[in-house]
Amino acid sequence: MPPAKRWLRQLGEDTSMSEFKTIGKNEERVDIRAKVLGSAVYAADLKMPGMLHGKIVRCYEYAHARVLSLDLSAAAAAPGVVKVLGPADVTKKAFNKSVIDLMASETSAQMLGDIEEQHIFTEHVKFYGDGIAGIIAKTEEQAEHAASLVVVEYEELPVYLTPEESGAPDAVQFTPEKPGNKAFELPDGMFPGGVLGWGDVDDAFEEADIVFEDTFYTPKQKQCQMEPNSYVALYDDEGRLNCWMSSQMPKLVHEKLARLFEMPMSMVKVTQTVVGGGFGARLGMVLEPEICAMALAVPGRPVKIQEPREEDWLTSPSRHPSRYWMKLGFKKDGTPVACDAKSVNFKGGYYLDGSALASTTGFWLQGMYRFDNLRYKGESYFTNQPVCGAFRGYGNPQTNFVLEQMIERGCVELGIDPMEWRKKWHKQVGDMSWLNATPYTSCALDECLERGAEVIGWEEKRKKYDNQTGTKRRGIGVAVGNHTSGAFPMILEQTTCTVRLNEDASATILIACSDIGQGSHTTLRQIAAETLGLPLQDVRLDTGDSDADGFDIGAHASRTLYVGGTAVMKACQDARGQLFARAAKILEADSDELDIEDKQIFVKGSPERSVSAAKICRDGIYNFMNMATGELEGEPGQIQAYISYKPDNNSPPFFSTFVEVEVDTETGEVEVLELVSSHDIGRAIHPAICEGQMEGGAQQGLGMVLTEETYFDEKGFATNNSFTDYKMLGASDMPKMTSILVENPDPYGPYGAKSVGEAGLVTPVGATANAIYQATGIQFTQGPITPEKILHAIKEKGVSYV
Amino acid sequence: MSKHAITLKVNGESYDIVVASNKTLLNVLREQLDMPETKYGCGTGECGACSVLVEDNTAINACLTLAATMDGREITTAAGLQVNGELHPVQQAFIDHHAVQCGFCTPGMIVKGVSLLEKNPDPSEEEIREGLEGSICRCTGYVKIVEAIDAAGKEMAKAAG
Repeated sequence: MPPAKRWLRQLGEDTSMSEFKTIGKNEERVDIRAKVLGSAVYAADLKMPGMLHGKIVRCYEYAHARVLSLDLSAAAAAPGVVKVLGPADVTKKAFNKSVIDLMASETSAQMLGDIEEQHIFTEHVKFYGDGIAGIIAKTEEQAEHAASLVVVEYEELPVYLTPEESGAPDAVQFTPEKPGNKAFELPDGMFPGGVLGWGDVDDAFEEADIVFEDTFYTPKQKQCQMEPNSYVALYDDEGRLNCWMSSQMPKLVHEKLARLFEMPMSMVKVTQTVVGGGFGARLGMVLEPEICAMALAVPGRPVKIQEPREEDWLTSPSRHPSRYWMKLGFKKDGTPVACDAKSVNFKGGYYLDGSALASTTGFWLQGMYRFDNLRYKGESYFTNQPVCGAFRGYGNPQTNFVLEQMIERGCVELGIDPMEWRKKWHKQVGDMSWLNATPYTSCALDECLERGAEVIGWEEKRKKYDNQTGTKRRGIGVAVGNHTSGAFPMILEQTTCTVRLNEDASATILIACSDIGQGSHTTLRQIAAETLGLPLQDVRLDTGDSDADGFDIGAHASRTLYVGGTAVMKACQDARGQLFARAAKILEADSDELDIEDKQIFVKGSPERSVSAAKICRDGIYNFMNMATGELEGEPGQIQAYISYKPDNNSPPFFSTFVEVEVDTETGEVEVLELVSSHDIGRAIHPAICEGQMEGGAQQGLGMVLTEETYFDEKGFATNNSFTDYKMLGASDMPKMTSILVENPDPYGPYGAKSVGEAGLVTPVGATANAIYQATGIQFTQGPITPEKILHAIKEKGVSYV
Repeated sequence: MSKHAITLKVNGESYDIVVASNKTLLNVLREQLDMPETKYGCGTGECGACSVLVEDNTAINACLTLAATMDGREITTAAGLQVNGELHPVQQAFIDHHAVQCGFCTPGMIVKGVSLLEKNPDPSEEEIREGLEGSICRCTGYVKIVEAIDAAGKEMAKAAG
């Protein structure tokens, strides 16, 4: 059973929800005024005196080739060119642009098989657009012109676009460290037998009343954050390497850059600018190594790279495409006796976070239902495609597409209501969560389902839409999921936070947590203000500066509010404790008898016994001797609190989505009519920000299931790496949406809060597929479910058109 | 590259500048006039992050417009919508309805919102959504953006009496 409400105890008072001053309120976002005026400064907006422009020369002739010779002489002689750089002109050190490897111990990383095989400019082109050289010129145009003058002789290599092709015995090896081009499989040393799970799946299938299996494909979806990648770097006169960038994880990038260029971290400074979206594309490094290598080549001159959208597409990692096989066994009464699954992921040209994705895809599978027996295998193979890495959900939407459709098939076959089945068999408080490592500490999934069902009219519509005829057929589907709040206990968790009270008792919070648009700087500020007892405008966050801020992992694993928020809360509790201790002496009371309002500290029940927080803070700094008494006026020293916080729990949120669709059997078009998502948030620190995550997640989830895929021709050239040819849903493509926040405070989260960041994308995927299934009677195993596939399936299955 | 001497009026101020034939309005605003509020998102007129207003409150894609063709024209960017330190009702509504996340599409979205309300002061939800076609937001699912524009329309109608 979960422990008592720890967040309450730590606050030292039994605060009921209504007494919160800012928690739970839709405060104005800290960054919003600058954003509506356009004055927020993104990396692309930076201009510096003497700034040069960098251009990476990319291979657009082949998706797989060796560079036999590289002639940079014409480029070097072109107008405006300051420097040309080939592989020999930059560090030869191999590295890994992902940062996930830093988050596992060296022994674990070794066991997982993490490798460093990337180079700043490659001599073995592994995907269409791989970088082979660099140009630095006075203007962007001059750099582009010079890039077109580079002469390269290539040896063409066979192109492998699937794991079967790259895994064939005679295939060209991507790296000697990964024989057979198998980038990853679950290591035996960590997962006995190379599998995740429990029980004996093979025996269990014998006992099942129904058993079925299928193989699915999940697409190479692109994050399409609105801000294309842009960087500025400067190797300054002090010998420091400065980099302005928009990574989601500035502190891990800080260490990676220091390692790569063999400099002390104190001589590398990273500044995170305002980040124009991430969704995983900027989890690690994208072009930070390249821009820093360029800056090192022209000391004293800032260099800027602005990637065109088409290039951003190829150089920042996408979601992993996967082939995902699953076999389920049920008893007649619906008891889920066994789940057997294997996902084979397309890795793209480089390893990056190769060990993590194929693992987590199985973790989400483990975490959802009470299967008696479960077995999962995960693998990844190199392919000649642009790299794959993190994308919101990190394997969870893939699992949702497959698992939720397979569960649906079982329910339909057994004649069981799919919502009731989910309510009966989802994991509960006390059950082991993903990775079988920590038990769930809270779960409000039943309420999510019930409230969602009511809003969309599930019961009535589900009955009404059975066995339709005609050219417009409606369907309604449901899917459930859960995710994570931080990366504990899988990989590293750590956030440091310093709280400093200024002379007037306003507070500065130094913290490296990233706000990549999700609103975490606003919610962290609310937690600080609530805990310190200060008005919101008296709390300021200082972020994005590697000199000033302590360590934080950055934005991934839906961790910022849950982990960073707890760090802020604890540091603020400490600062408030110090403030109250000083006030207690003045007021001749105990600290725990005190409260604070409008920066005035008073004895509870006797508000006339009070002292101003500003006076205590100022007296601590401007600390003089009283000439009459010879004693110090007030306690000396500025009040400051610091914590390096490592969580010891994880409180995954649960969530559900209902989707109603109308399928046109003549055109194959799917119109999404309504989407209702409910989220077990624990506590909503800022409800509108939580809704924003669910609504934006839905746009990406609907895209993944209906329209979004990066296509390649037989040469391995991407054919739709642009907003013109890649369909994201626009405002008029989106359905009517309702977001329901179910508040059931978690004993571990700050003020009871759990995560929401990634979750919104996940269940729209399974729910939409299930709605299409009800409408057409056909399950679509190959994502995205495009009109072409629907028409083809209707024809193939002999479904009547009318 | 041939060059053209042009006069651009941006946010009420005139600028006499010389632009190369191949420079887009977006490039000139950002690089030559130091007005970074108009954003580069795709360069192909699909995302609307570069939207600016011209005289009759039509929103155009600055990334698809050659600067040399804009001689004598009046342009308003998101920064220019503020009057005497007071935000435009559409900007205020974006704040009140939390219609911003990463903020990169925001200046263009606001310009689009102003344009559609100037041309249709009482739009239905469907008309707002259609009016936002050609503007992509990857963060919000458009829910709060549509709400904000709807609310701003009502606010502007009230102010106009």
